[in-house]
Amino acid sequence: MLLDAIRPDADGADRAREAVPARPDSETARSQAAPRRGPARGVAVTVRDLRKAFDGHTVIDGLDLHIPAGQFTAVVGRSGCGKSTLLRLILGLETPTGGRIQLEEPAGVARRNVPPKRIMFQEPRLLPWARVVDNVAVGLTGLGSRRERRERALAALAEVGLADKAGQWPATLSGGQRQRVALARALVSGPGLLALDEPLGALDALTRIGMQGLIERIWQQQGFTALLVTHDVAEAVALADRILVVDEGRIALDVRVDVPRPRRRGDPDLAALEGRILENLLGESPAA
Amino acid sequence: MASTLLDDLGRRAAPWLLPVLALAGWQAAVSAGLVSNRFMPAPLDVARAGLAAASTGELWTNLGVSALRAIAGFAIGGGIGFALGLANGLSRLSERLTDTSVQMVRNVPHLSLIPLVILWFGIGEEAKLFLVALGVFFPIYANTLHGIRSVDPGLVEMGRVYGMSRAELFRRVVLPGALPSIFVGLRYGLGIMWLTLIVAETISASSGLGYMAMQAREFMLVDVVVLAILIYALLGKLADALTRRLERATLAWNPAYRTA
Repeated sequence: MLLDAIRPDADGADRAREAVPARPDSETARSQAAPRRGPARGVAVTVRDLRKAFDGHTVIDGLDLHIPAGQFTAVVGRSGCGKSTLLRLILGLETPTGGRIQLEEPAGVARRNVPPKRIMFQEPRLLPWARVVDNVAVGLTGLGSRRERRERALAALAEVGLADKAGQWPATLSGGQRQRVALARALVSGPGLLALDEPLGALDALTRIGMQGLIERIWQQQGFTALLVTHDVAEAVALADRILVVDEGRIALDVRVDVPRPRRRGDPDLAALEGRILENLLGESPAA
Repeated sequence: MASTLLDDLGRRAAPWLLPVLALAGWQAAVSAGLVSNRFMPAPLDVARAGLAAASTGELWTNLGVSALRAIAGFAIGGGIGFALGLANGLSRLSERLTDTSVQMVRNVPHLSLIPLVILWFGIGEEAKLFLVALGVFFPIYANTLHGIRSVDPGLVEMGRVYGMSRAELFRRVVLPGALPSIFVGLRYGLGIMWLTLIVAETISASSGLGYMAMQAREFMLVDVVVLAILIYALLGKLADALTRRLERATLAWNPAYRTA
């Protein structure tokens, strides 16, 4: 759509995926999902023996992980298990103490066209002194002319259903609307990897469900790699192709969600899976 | 329609109700002979003195001289305070080098320097500029520094993630975030500017509003003394109104500053 025009060679993502150690089962999970309309431009992520310690306190402890391009992965775990740190490490917001993180951009893409990595934070983090459309345009910092940025920002706002709020101050929006503006800002540049750090945690239940649908739809259209950190297992089950349970800085459980999309709320398969993951989370520390 | 117009008029007039009542009461008290004219002239006498001073041009000359001193001193002291506040807010090294010294000097009441300043500069312009600049420096410095410190680190991180350069980060995130606090400093600075100037002019000057008031005291012209004091009040109000307008224009995004 608006972003595809600038990346005509995004099918390189598939080639990149073949180059990495295969995880055929997760591929089948994807092929069962609803067909992608947009071209894939996702970035594959490979993490080897990753370690991170803060002041001698180990948070990530020798973690291995491969996320194929375009996959929607959810990371769940008890608070303090290191799931947010993992996300920040992959995004480059923290420096690892040891190990390495490799992002494989779609092959054959010129350096300057490499799709960016974006993150959506727990809070919207909008600039209160910039109009909504200018906040979205922050996502295009350093790209194109002022007019181009504005046009693309307006298109991205329309995508999240806030076209009529373009000229308003963030202070006049509701919490859900602000988080939608933050989503538009994250997506306006056509990212290859979108990290979501509990972005819906502060929203009420109904707004949350609406946002989940919006994120899923845009992911299906744009084909970026999505990495969602959440404490809400139901949310992970509803959205993800694959769920990772992180415990004590390692991956304790790696489950594929083979339920076809669109997923129905209250689907018995999803409920069973949610139960299994919750059991795993609670079982590891009955006291908690 | 008419009622909203009346409402609007009422809202605009309300702040002036008290000053007008006070004036009327004052005039009545003097006219009735409750207060001696020698100590407290009636508002009408003050107005007459004002007209007289205005017609000879004496009032305008003194007002102009004082305003020039105020503006120049404010620009120098405020400019330095703002620059140092920015530097110390953005650079740890700069802060480590200067902040302790600034805090020490800040605790010296700047008006206590008047004898020293007279020894240094005599009663020339430099003395007044120095004192005003020194007085204005501290509130602007402290509030600029505080403003930059209190910018949400989450927003700064967001700006970095989205690839803003240092200059862009400053212009689009740090400075606007610090602005409300900088305005607080501006207001304090304006108050201190008048205070310092008037004290300095009263003690040592050969022109200006404070000088005019001191001259009038020599000749027992109470009405001119009161006139000078009223002009201070008006000038203070004017400076405040200007800041308010500036705040509304630049902080329109902030619900706390939005026009009702």
